[in-house]
Amino acid sequence: MNRTYLIVKYLFLLAWSTFVVFPFLWALSTSFKDANAVTSGARYIPWLEFEPSTQGWKSLFTSGSQGINIVTPFLNSATVTLTASAISLVLGTLAAYGLSRYQFRAGFVKNSDITFFFISQRIMPPIVLAIPFFLMLREIGALDTILGLVIVYIALLLPIAVWVMIDFFGSIPKELDEMAMIDGCTPAGAFLRVILPNSLAGLVVAGMFCLIFGWNDFFFAFTLTFTKTQLLPVAIVSLNSSVTPWWSLSAFALISVTPLALVAILVERFMSRGSLSGAIR
Amino acid sequence: MARIVLRGLGHSYRNAPQCETDYALKPVDLTWEDGKAYALLGPSGCGKTTMLNIISGLVTPSEGRLLFDGRDMTGASTAERNIAQVFQFPVIYTTKTVRQNLAFPLECRNWPSAKIAERVDRIARLLDLSDILGAPARRLSADQKQLVSLGRGLVRDDVSAVLLDEPLTVIDPQMKFALRRKLREINRATGITMILVTHDQSEAMSFADEVVVMKDGQVQQSGPPEHLFARPQNEFVGYFIGSPPLNILAAEPGNNRLNCPALGLSVGLPRGVGTSVLSFGVRPEHIHLVDVAGTAPGARVEAVENLGVERVFTLRAATGETIKVKSRRHKGLSAGTDIGLSVKLGDLLVFGNGRLLGDGEAYLPSEDVG
Ligand SMILES: Nc1ncnc2c1ncn2[C@@H]1O[C@H](COP(=O)(O)OP(=O)(O)O)[C@@H](O)[C@H]1O
Ligand SMILES: [Mg+2]
Repeated sequence: MNRTYLIVKYLFLLAWSTFVVFPFLWALSTSFKDANAVTSGARYIPWLEFEPSTQGWKSLFTSGSQGINIVTPFLNSATVTLTASAISLVLGTLAAYGLSRYQFRAGFVKNSDITFFFISQRIMPPIVLAIPFFLMLREIGALDTILGLVIVYIALLLPIAVWVMIDFFGSIPKELDEMAMIDGCTPAGAFLRVILPNSLAGLVVAGMFCLIFGWNDFFFAFTLTFTKTQLLPVAIVSLNSSVTPWWSLSAFALISVTPLALVAILVERFMSRGSLSGAIR
Repeated sequence: MARIVLRGLGHSYRNAPQCETDYALKPVDLTWEDGKAYALLGPSGCGKTTMLNIISGLVTPSEGRLLFDGRDMTGASTAERNIAQVFQFPVIYTTKTVRQNLAFPLECRNWPSAKIAERVDRIARLLDLSDILGAPARRLSADQKQLVSLGRGLVRDDVSAVLLDEPLTVIDPQMKFALRRKLREINRATGITMILVTHDQSEAMSFADEVVVMKDGQVQQSGPPEHLFARPQNEFVGYFIGSPPLNILAAEPGNNRLNCPALGLSVGLPRGVGTSVLSFGVRPEHIHLVDVAGTAPGARVEAVENLGVERVFTLRAATGETIKVKSRRHKGLSAGTDIGLSVKLGDLLVFGNGRLLGDGEAYLPSEDVG
């Protein structure tokens, strides 16, 4: 009984893992092939079925007609994503704290309406925003620049940060802030000295979402840039020309996935250490 | 340390309070004298926490003024007021150790670190927390957490007042008793005003110099415990203070006198009561059981509850009314026995429409012995 269960469980896990990992293995194997190995039927195992070549990987770090140069788009992506995420996280956390602790009112607009306003930015299909963003960036001369992308990404990531953090602050009892103020903090002091240290788990989750959405965005990176400023997702797609260099493409894809995978592993460790347990009462 | 005065202070959580019932705290004039120990007593939801939060500055009152030693503090920040408050449920800073928790109120006020260490050690010793000062606060049990909360409330020695909002609810009874005594000692030793919210009247009576009784957002009566016991201003206070509560008995006007059929007593008819509904109140401690023989009105014992030293007898009077009697004697008395009742006229309270007639001295039934 117990044995059967174990066997079934592991079979299922194995099947699922294969399903998830297979594309990565395929990309890994493809990144070491040459043109011949890619086009002549399905082959997976290096040395046995094909002679590995590092041509794909090398091409990423050479510029000119032979190479693709991943370094610049990678740094661009990192700059845009990290800057926008950090700013969104700071602004979003402050906004969320205000919305979770104070009642705001402007005519018929209340806290819940403001919260919805933030979230509604993500409900709209991106295509609706593309033209306004394009026009606005052109107006301030920020098309095809890092700055322009950072501004747009903040607009995209801020709702996520606000959303996650409102929920998180909602789970921290108001008594904690009140206690801090009784103990002599100003409202800002209560937030910085008591609430923020208690919010690490929420900040990590919000930050992770910001990084994922920022890093993976293709649509705005594509519509708001031309040639000067290229982000990773756009650079990958631009490889797809008349003769697609599958080996470079695979290596490229693996490299662009790596940072998020590392973040996921770190966060997973952090969360399983039990830092999420609030234990206020 | 300050004399805290509430002047016409009221609060409604609604935006535009329409009527009395919209107020969580109905406008009240009240003075908390410097250095006294107070108990704030009342059923749950009557506005006790609201009152404390207004004093400490967590809630801004919708009307009235709050004065500390004559200084208007209605709009002052919590830090300016320098009030210590302990909530009903433990609130601890989970990312800090016990020591850091206790030191926090002092750090916020930039005390010198040597003085902080000294105060923290002292409070830790007082509350038996010395052994766990280094432990992370989130690991503690519920009552240890509450001790830490309490410690944070007591660690400052210069506060205007310490507000304790049912802080002992989560603490086990034995510890509760000891803590109450310690709080009382601190109040005596330091002269810091303490306001203890509770709905346990024995806790209130044993802790406080003065008891304030509230109901439905309204202060019913305040005064020394003995006074509230002897002369409750209305039936609610009579019922709320004392265990078992005040006996309320029917009063029948007749022959220009007011008669209490259940006890066989009559007093002069109070003047100017008009059409008020009149009733008598008598403490279970003030009814004496006597032999049935003689002229004493009778009652039948229905139940006996043994409280150890004392017994509570539930009696059924000839009028059908239930009367509770508390006595240290009559150990042999059991249910089903008939017994006589005797009450001194001076112990009889007269209520008109639920309010005590006269404020203690003006109307004394004993003046005209019937
Ligand atoms: N933050 C609040 N918003 C709205 N109503 C409240 C709030 N806090 C308390 N009340 C209401 O005010 C009344 C008094 O509450 P409270 O002061 O907590 O009573 P107590 O402490 O005596 O139990 C209750 O009817 C309660 O529902
Ligand atoms: Mg309360």
